[in-house]
Amino acid sequence: MAEEVIRVEDFSFKYRQTKKYALKHLDFAIKKGEFVCVIGQNGSGKSTLASALVGLVPQYFVGNLHGRILIEGHDTQHTSISELSTMIGLVFQNPFNQLSYTAGTVAEELAYGLCNHGVPREEMVERVDRIARIMRIDHIIDKNPLELSGGQVQRVALGSSLIMEPEIVVLDECTTQLDPMGSEEIFDIVKNLNADGMTVVMADHDMERVARCADCVIVLDRGEIVAQGSPNEVFSQPDLREHGVEPPDFLKIALALKEAGVKVDRLPVTEEPTIELVKEAIHS
Amino acid sequence: MVGANDKHILETPVGRMNPITKAGVALFVGLTALILPISWLGFVFTALYFIAAAKGNILKPFAKIIFSFGIPITLMLLFIQGFYSPLNKTFILDCGFAKLGLEGVLNMLHIVGTLLTFLAGLYILNQTTYIGRLVAALNDIGMSPKAGYLTLATLNVVPQMQRRMHGIQEAQSARGLSTGGSALERFKAFIPLLGPVVLSSLTDAQERGMTLETHGFGLKENKHTSLVTNTNTPTDKAILYGAAVLFVVAVVLTVLNGVGIIAIG
Repeated sequence: MAEEVIRVEDFSFKYRQTKKYALKHLDFAIKKGEFVCVIGQNGSGKSTLASALVGLVPQYFVGNLHGRILIEGHDTQHTSISELSTMIGLVFQNPFNQLSYTAGTVAEELAYGLCNHGVPREEMVERVDRIARIMRIDHIIDKNPLELSGGQVQRVALGSSLIMEPEIVVLDECTTQLDPMGSEEIFDIVKNLNADGMTVVMADHDMERVARCADCVIVLDRGEIVAQGSPNEVFSQPDLREHGVEPPDFLKIALALKEAGVKVDRLPVTEEPTIELVKEAIHS
Repeated sequence: MVGANDKHILETPVGRMNPITKAGVALFVGLTALILPISWLGFVFTALYFIAAAKGNILKPFAKIIFSFGIPITLMLLFIQGFYSPLNKTFILDCGFAKLGLEGVLNMLHIVGTLLTFLAGLYILNQTTYIGRLVAALNDIGMSPKAGYLTLATLNVVPQMQRRMHGIQEAQSARGLSTGGSALERFKAFIPLLGPVVLSSLTDAQERGMTLETHGFGLKENKHTSLVTNTNTPTDKAILYGAAVLFVVAVVLTVLNGVGIIAIG
């Protein structure tokens, strides 16, 4: 049985300047190698959860906090953000805000965190080369990061998190500002990393993608977990729309077929089973 | 500052030189020109800097900056110092409205020579040094990584803010705001852009702060390392020590001149 890498225990958090709690009594665990998607409408607490997982809440964003989050057994309240960055990486929406603004080349940008951690230069060079290949940015390694496209910068940002060799990566809607191609490029890389054993926690609005890739889906609404389980379990819940979550189009097709009298044993949420269902409906 | 990819400059003998050597030479040679009361010395140093600029592949912009600064300042100081300096005792030209004094002219040459020496040294440092190498070199000699960050981030964030400003400007003009016309009209159009630029920059600063935190910026106990390296070759050391010795000699000569043991100038 895979070991638990994230444990969230009755975790609640309220920002100092707000009246309502952004997260309320969250309680869940994530196992090593799992691909977990966090969904929910804007303001549901996805970004706060992402910040809490990497220790930015409560060390950077202060407020009222109850419960605790353990990353590989380390309490995020008592472990420095820098130390946590070697266990869990974070990539967020705006790629250009994730640059250090100290680097003249992509290689220097990737190496920025390693410099702060005092990693020897020889090891730094080796890690930069490896991550640049994984992120498919080895051809732009000598370019100025400020001259790159949004998709390329987001790959640099993901690379600069992964170069710290964390076991877990948190992606907070990191493809929202990218074009479809840039978004898919990032997602392909993340899928490959997950296939190699990295634990991924991703906040996303693309339900087709969530249904296709997640091992587990967590639905947040006003800071609370309102649904949790496999994509099939979560998206089959009839009250999902009440929580501001639109189910994948494939599920809508299947539901329409069901209403039209087609026998549907298990509601599909991804492309292939939906195509099969449509084929069966046509033949019958 | 040059970019990391400006190889035609960075791979010249001057470009490869340790930034501390270049900064040290600019400082020591400039101070030597300043303290020694020799009016032509600054021009000799500036002439030598022309050779360095040629070696560093920046001769054309270097000549442009030296002449575009040197000529107007020379004419201006020639007028002020040459005609109206209280030091003037020996008059070399009578222009009718005023007399040109030798002492004032020599003083003007000393001032212009010194300014050009500092300008030339700093320009070569600036135009042949990749900022990342300069900061790495300053960190090597003990500057705090946080001060290094401030230097680099300040230089790099300006183009980013300009891009943002341009984006907001385009968005505003798409909604009918006139951003062209006379200087006054352009200035008026500029005012409403400031709010969005400043506010969005503050939001960006928060996210950048988060990025820095998750990249170990706050670590205190670690020794900071760098991907960018600087070599300190025997030539670098010889040039830097040479400049330092020149300065020490200049100090000694100035003191001896001051107490009347020798006479300079």
